Order: sequence, then structure tokens, then C-alpha cells
Amino acid sequence: MHHNKSLRITASAVALALAACSGLALAAQVPAGVKLAAKQELTRNTGSEPESLDPVLAESVPANTITADLFEGLTATDSFGKVVPGVAESWKQTSPTTWVFKLRKNAKWSDGSAVTASDFVYGWQRFVEPKTASPYASTYGIFILNGKEITEGKKPASALGVKAVDKYTLEVQTPYPVPFMPSLVANTQLAPLPKATIDKFGKDWTKPGKMVSNGAFALKDWQVNSKVVVEKNAQYWDVKNVQLGKITYLPIEDHNADVKLYESGENDWVLELPSGTYDKYKTQYPKEIRNAPFLGLRYYSLNNKDPLLKDVRVRKALSMVIDRDILAKKVTADGQSPAYSAIVAGTAGADVTSYDWAKWPMAKRVEEAKKLLAQAGVQPGTKLKFAYNTSDYHKKMAIFAASEWKSKLGLNTELESLEFKVLLKKRHDADYQIARNGWVADYNDATTFLALVQCDNDQNDNKNCNAKAEALIKQGSDTTDQAKRKQLFTQAVKMIMDDYPMIPLLQYTAPRLVKSYVGGYGKNPMDRYRGKDLYIIQH
Amino acid sequence: MWSYTFRRVLATIPTLLAVITVCYLLLHLTPGGPFDGERKVSAAVLANLQAKYHLDLPLWQQYLYYIKSLLQGDLGASFRYADWSVNDLVGKALPVSAAIGGGAIVISLFIGVALGIVAALRQNSIIDYLVMLLGNIGGAFPSFVLGPVLVMVFAIGLEWLPAGGWDDFSLRYMVLPMALLVFINISTIGRVMRGSMIEVLGSNFIRTARAKGLPMRTIVLRHALKPALMPVVSVIGPLAISSITAAVVTETVFGLPGLGKLIVNGAANRDYTLVLGLVVLVTVITVVLNLLVDLAYALLDPKIRY
Repeated sequence: MHHNKSLRITASAVALALAACSGLALAAQVPAGVKLAAKQELTRNTGSEPESLDPVLAESVPANTITADLFEGLTATDSFGKVVPGVAESWKQTSPTTWVFKLRKNAKWSDGSAVTASDFVYGWQRFVEPKTASPYASTYGIFILNGKEITEGKKPASALGVKAVDKYTLEVQTPYPVPFMPSLVANTQLAPLPKATIDKFGKDWTKPGKMVSNGAFALKDWQVNSKVVVEKNAQYWDVKNVQLGKITYLPIEDHNADVKLYESGENDWVLELPSGTYDKYKTQYPKEIRNAPFLGLRYYSLNNKDPLLKDVRVRKALSMVIDRDILAKKVTADGQSPAYSAIVAGTAGADVTSYDWAKWPMAKRVEEAKKLLAQAGVQPGTKLKFAYNTSDYHKKMAIFAASEWKSKLGLNTELESLEFKVLLKKRHDADYQIARNGWVADYNDATTFLALVQCDNDQNDNKNCNAKAEALIKQGSDTTDQAKRKQLFTQAVKMIMDDYPMIPLLQYTAPRLVKSYVGGYGKNPMDRYRGKDLYIIQH
Repeated sequence: MWSYTFRRVLATIPTLLAVITVCYLLLHLTPGGPFDGERKVSAAVLANLQAKYHLDLPLWQQYLYYIKSLLQGDLGASFRYADWSVNDLVGKALPVSAAIGGGAIVISLFIGVALGIVAALRQNSIIDYLVMLLGNIGGAFPSFVLGPVLVMVFAIGLEWLPAGGWDDFSLRYMVLPMALLVFINISTIGRVMRGSMIEVLGSNFIRTARAKGLPMRTIVLRHALKPALMPVVSVIGPLAISSITAAVVTETVFGLPGLGKLIVNGAANRDYTLVLGLVVLVTVITVVLNLLVDLAYALLDPKIRY
């Protein structure tokens, strides 16, 4: 850090004003006039079997969804993505790198014991410890002081920047200012953990009958590859605002089977519609189709080290000629919106950038792209190699992109359909030319997307690096002035995107069917819906 | 016969070892590892994960480690399903697959044999054609077409049965998947049975029995059935193995927590231990069923003695 003291103090004051938060309990708000059904039971498909119900090991959508109902962190996010108090009733940023969370005294574990600050200290230390091997340790752990070093085995877990000041006060140190701390700690990986239970049962502590949890729900049953069942946790501090009595999570992977279960009434929540069926179901079930954009980006990685693609003119030409409007409206046809930046709409901490040519008529774009290729010495008939993982959806998009490059630029694309793990390996090793890619935000802040295009970042499959932009990002990360940070990040994104490291295509939406009697479904930018916020309307 | 059985069981050991070794090498040769995800884990986290599952050791040491724990009956920890051991996972999936696949095989055997006999006795009649048509439909339509049709009719249309899922061996959830497997299997069994019955009915000893004036019922059930069953027994082994261990499509269509899906997901996730555990299981099941088939030959054909 290179702040001087006076700046530090001013910055803290600003941060304090920004971060002050009241401790009002905000829970499932059932609008006036809505009659609740007598039976408050929900069945929702989460798409696959959770890899674990241990919050620190959660990585996939199902594991994150279920553990977010079983456990509650310092904060939580509601159905509209708003950060609401969880175990913490209030929090303050007391210095650029210190946050203090005041815990509510009535928060309890499902066995009736109190949730205290030391449960968070234990949980967070366990999260970053090498022997836990949490896949998210390097994603969230880096925002806590010494988290990175502990995961790398260079420091003991006790060195983590989290301290129980007293039973109900938790102090968190960060290595640099982390303005999105309240949103970050809503993640299930940073939930408190029941030390006594984990010590007693070891790996088996997540099994029904053994697990002790502090969320709105408690684990009732877990049949591998069949279902996970949770029931309302009577010990939960805000239990009076929890409407659902029981939630069943299904691990149905096949999209068609998911819809069949929905239509036969055994499932209230289709996770994902089969490719190409959005319009059909929208007409068939107009009241049940739900579709909201969330913080996710579909893009194509360009290998910036590739002999052909290392020329920015070639990368630019490839990006320019793909008609995102047709891709969104006709090809994928499920309500997604065109993207021209690494940042998608709704992301906090940076503005969405775009390209000038995005508004040009296609003919002009093609003309310009052809000029660029000519300048780069790329002849029509040049071969491109495009890798994607086997899926109807990706195939459709890939064929469209290939036809754009062929018809508009005369380039021939060889499509290579790979098994998912093989594609991942090739992408991570930069053993590809053009590859399908996608990213869903881990927390609502620009840094989650910046990772995709930053120098030497694990998530950067393009292998691009813009040193000047990197300096701006560093500057932005170090400042506590939020407006300044946002301006610097936006400037950096624009700078990087003008290097055309990748081809942004579409912002994800979550087209799905949810029964009209399921209330509390909002438009969550992270596509995360807690059981606490949902209820069943009389039907 | 006992010594034969004993020898066959002993012969399983080298087979098993060879299968495990080949499978082990193939798994490790496949590009992409268990911890490659859309979100690439940092080098430190990857090292932690590999250490947790002993993947940081040289391959031969990992192999020996695996064989050693296998000898102790421990199939290891699953890489993908962190809260369960492979023993847990297999232990939960096997009964489901055995119930659905095994049940379906028994039912198909009875129906298939009966249909085959009826068709053979009424060769080239309308009944024969109908039976064969039914069999051919079962054989010609893939299960990913037939399965959803069953769901559309019986679950969504008539609402008699659930569209899928599993609830602790509740019969309601087993009917449709079993029906699908039965439908597929009877086509094979029925056709084989018909062909072999026609052949047997044309043989000399049956003509003799007829000449003696025995009623057709007795001829078929007492004299023709046993020899006619021989080819059926030959196909029933592979059919049973595939119905129990490889009913992936059926399990996917009906969302069943069975072995087929586990093995496919295991391979897709590069869950080495899970795949190896299942390969061991499938090998054992195959060996056992093949042995049963061979023993059944001895029961059916007095000429065969072990």
C-alpha cells in the first residue's frame, strides 16, 4: 500500500459514510393481499448432484444453492441481489483495510447454541487452509489479509486477518481496500462453521442427522443423485419470516427430463430450458416463464500468442463482423443481450464499455474488417481453428460465428467439438486458436470480470497483457475513493478491450420455468435465490 | 462343478488386475484432470487438492497405493463428490441398478420366452407377425425416444405415474424405467427364442415325440423348451450386464440414481477413483453373470459337464 496518512483518514471517512448500514431484518416479504398456500413446500432442480454440502468445498451451482439455504454468513443477498444483514446486524469500514461486523445476539445454530464471532474465525481459517483444499480459497481468500499466503502454505491459518474482538464482534483485515466486502461475505464459503460438529464427525459432518447449520433451513435427507431435502430451521433467528417449510433439491442434468418432471407436477423449478425451446415454452406457459439477465458473459477466447492472432488487426476484424444482434435474436433466441465488453450490465465498480463500430451498419464493419485483414496480410481462405465443448447450444453459436467469418471475410473455420475437460485443459494451457468461453461473476464487482483479461491471471485464457491498464487497475484497487476506483477500472477495461484480447458476445440470462405459485422470485443479478425469500402462493 | 466354479473365480483375479491397470493408465492418459474447471484454480490450490488425493505422487506410487487400499476393500475417496467415499457411492447406486435392471431382466425373460414360443408355434401367422413387429419396435427405437414417449403418455398425459425420480424403492418410481428396459430386452429375447424354438421343433426328437401322440403342450414345455433356451441363456448374460451397469439412457431419462449415470459422470469429471471402483464392480458382475450362464448350460444340456 502506498497511501499517505491524511489520504487514508479522508478515505476512511468517505468509506464510513458509504458503508454505514442499519441492522433491520429484511426477510421474505410477502406482499399484502397474497394468500399463502397451506402447504409451503418447494421442489427445485439445481442441475446436478452437489459435490459437497460443506460450504467451504462448494463450487457448483447446486452446492452453492443448497449451502446458502443451510448456512448464513455475515450478510446475504435477497432475490434482487441487494445485500441484506445475515448473522451480522451492522458493519462498518473502520479503516481502508479494516471492516468490523457486529453480530446479532439471537443468531443460533440448529442445535440451539449461539453463533459467535469465533465460529466465523474458525470457518474462515478452515476455508483457506491448504489441507481443506477449497477450490474457492484463491478466489475469495485473497481478499482477507494473509489468505493467499496461508493457501500457499507460507503462513499458518492463525495468521488470517480475521479476529473475534468479543463474542459478537468480528474484525476483518484486508490486504488492500475491498469495497465490496459486504457483498463478498454473503458467499457460502465464508459462512460460520460448527467446530464441535466437524471435530466430532470429520468428513461425515455434512450428513443428515449429523449436520448442524445456522441458516433458515436444516438438512433433513440426502440421497445421492436423487435428492437433498431441507426443512425450516426452528432455531433460525428470523424464523418467523421464513415461509417455506420444506425444500427438495433435484439433481436432474438432462434439460428435457427437467421439463418433463415440471410438466408432470413433480418439479416447480426448471433450472435450464433445452436449447432452442425458449419461444415455445414462452408461448405455452406465459405466466411461468421467467427470464432475467445475470452477471455472466459468453465470449470467445482468442489465443493472443497464436501466430495468426497475435496481430491485433486480425483479432479486431474477427470481433467486428459477428452480428451480436442476430446471434441474440435468431441464433440463441432466449432473451440474451449483445455484449461488447468484458464487463456486463449490472456489474458494480465499472461501467460497461463498447466499441465505436458496434453502432455502425454491418456493411461498413465488414469493409473495415477486410481492410484490417489486408493490412495484416491475411488472405481470404486462411484457416481458423475453433474449439468448443460438445453441446447443441455451443455448436449453434460456433456455426454462426464460422459462417460470419466465412461469408464476410472469406476465412475458413475448422470446428472442433471437444469433451468439456479436454477443452478446459487446452484453454488453460493456451493450446488453441479460438475457443468458446464463459464466465459467471463470483461476487458483484468489476474485479471478477477483470480477471478474465488481466496479465497472468489464472482466469485469463487469452494470455493477453496490457501493462498500462494493469497499472490503472492497481491504482484503482488501492484507492478507497469509489468514484475514482470506478473511473480507473472503466478506463482500464476500455484500454484492454481496444487490444481485442477476446470476443465478447452475449450477456447470460436465466431462461427457466418456475410455477406461477412460487412467489418471491425476483431479478437477481447473480441468479441466486434463497429459500428464505421464496413462498408458495395459494393455488 | 464346484472345482470348476472355484477355478473360474480364481481366474477372475488376473482379469481384474489387467482391467484395473489398463483402465488406470487410460484415465491418466486422458487430457484434462479432475480439478480442471471453468474457473481455473490457482497453482497453490491445485497443489493442495492434488496432495489431498495423493495425486502429487509419481504414477506408479499412486497405482500401488490404490491397489493396496483396494485389497483392504476400500475403493478410495471420490474426487468429485467430496463428502462420500466411492464405497458409499457404489453402495447406494448398486441396489437401485440391481432392482431396476435385474427386475427388468427377469420380467423380460418370462415375457420374451413366452412371446418367442407363441410366435414359433404360429410361425408365419398373423400372431407371429404381431409379436415380431412388437419386438422389432422395441429393438428399432432407441431408449431415448421410447423413454420420453412413456413419460408423455403415462406421467404427463394420464398422470398415473411419476415422470421420474427415485424414492427408496417405491414401486411407483420403478414401473416406467423397468417397462422401458423390458420393452428393449424382450425384442432380443423374443427373437432369439422364436428362432431357436422353430429350429428345435423341426428336429428329430420332437418329431418322435409327436409321432408318439404327445400333446403339443407337453412337447413344448417338457422336451423343446430346455434345448431351445440355450441361445437365450447365451444372450441373457450380456443383456443383464448392460441392463444393470449400463442403463445410462434410462437413468438419465428418469433421473435415477443408478450405476450407469455414476460411471458416465465419473468419466466426464475425471473422477479416477470412482471410475476405477465402478470398473472393478462391473468386471466382478460380468464375471459372475458369465459364470452363472455357463453353469446354466450344464443344467439345460446334459451333454455339458464341468
